[in-house]
Amino acid sequence: MPIARFSPFELLLLKSRHQADSAALLLLAWVLASRGHIGDPERARLTELTSGFRHGHALEPIIEIAASQDLAAIQLAAELLQKECHGEQAYPFLRLAIALAVEGGKPSLANHHVLRFLADLLGVAPSEFAPLFEAVAGKAFANPDDPSRTGYWQAKEHHRQQQEQHRQQQERHNSQREQERQRRERDYQEQSRERERRDERHHYQRQRRHAGDQAPPPGDRTRRALIVLGLQPGASRSEIRKAYRRLAQTHHPDRVYTQGEARVASASLRFQRIKSAYEYLMEVS
Amino acid sequence: MRDLYKRLGLSPDASKEAIRTAIDTCQHSALKADAQMVLQVESRRDEYDALHTTLCDIGLLRARLGLTHGAYWQDSVANDFSLPPDSARSRHEELVERLSHAASWHNRWRAWHAPWLIAGLFSLGVLAGAALCHMLL
Repeated sequence: MPIARFSPFELLLLKSRHQADSAALLLLAWVLASRGHIGDPERARLTELTSGFRHGHALEPIIEIAASQDLAAIQLAAELLQKECHGEQAYPFLRLAIALAVEGGKPSLANHHVLRFLADLLGVAPSEFAPLFEAVAGKAFANPDDPSRTGYWQAKEHHRQQQEQHRQQQERHNSQREQERQRRERDYQEQSRERERRDERHHYQRQRRHAGDQAPPPGDRTRRALIVLGLQPGASRSEIRKAYRRLAQTHHPDRVYTQGEARVASASLRFQRIKSAYEYLMEVS
Repeated sequence: MRDLYKRLGLSPDASKEAIRTAIDTCQHSALKADAQMVLQVESRRDEYDALHTTLCDIGLLRARLGLTHGAYWQDSVANDFSLPPDSARSRHEELVERLSHAASWHNRWRAWHAPWLIAGLFSLGVLAGAALCHMLL
């Protein structure tokens, strides 16, 4: 047998301190890559989510491999992960994959199929995967649309037109406001200079108030963090702390230390997730 | 999602003309309407092709990993993108085999290179000496 070269992913696996984590990382990067281009925010998000992984090598080569859609590498990663975790043990990984897929809105169609593939790969039946998706994403796991049908494109066209109309209305509204503002400024200019100075101050304040209006609503992330801790929206700090302590005790990796490395790894994933949710909530509340 | 190319008897990188003739000769009116809607507009075809590639990849992965009958692989997607199960070996086994192969070569080299080196240097010395004698005498 001629010795073929080792592919970049195989070399990474040889260097990796934890092969299953490397494989999971590649599959997560594949989920991201099937959304489209992997930019800096996606990288940051992936790094944040996988902070509990123990692969011990750089992220960049993994992202490159995933972006090039190297099927041989993805197959190897899938085999490794399939060996490592099955059924319930795969939940932490699937949660991460779902979180990445629903990041910033709806999962893309390719994401839908990739998630389904991962669920089948890890032996998670639809009856278990759908609630998991709902818990992480906060919405039901629908069937993906079908772009090989006329209906898909008609609906899309319709949606685009609606958005266009909405945008035009917005623009008209904005231009009216702009005109009004200009008119008011002209009025003010006729007044004395002192008055004008006051007007500027007023204008500045108005802008600031305007900027305040546009601050994003308390977000998705808070809600997700609350779901991780099993709390309802609007939970108080003490409730959050109590829930965190309870969950941290049950999911601490040291508790399953005797049950093998795989269990410890999955527990540390869960623990990491709980911890980051708690830290985030403490920061914002 | 259905594989329109397969159903029209085309390859995924078919030219516009090939697609037009295939659509014109298509007997199935529903398929014809869908194909006109999707494949004859450049932007839609690009989007469709992107998803098509992903699904072909997933179909191949499923065939290789023995997941062609997964609970989430159903309906038109499974009908159009399934491949016959692959008898190719598992990538992981292959990697392990290649590693052990490389390791055995490494060991053999370790075990043999010292005597061979000595023998090689010795014969080189003998040859050089013989050549020198030959030149001088």
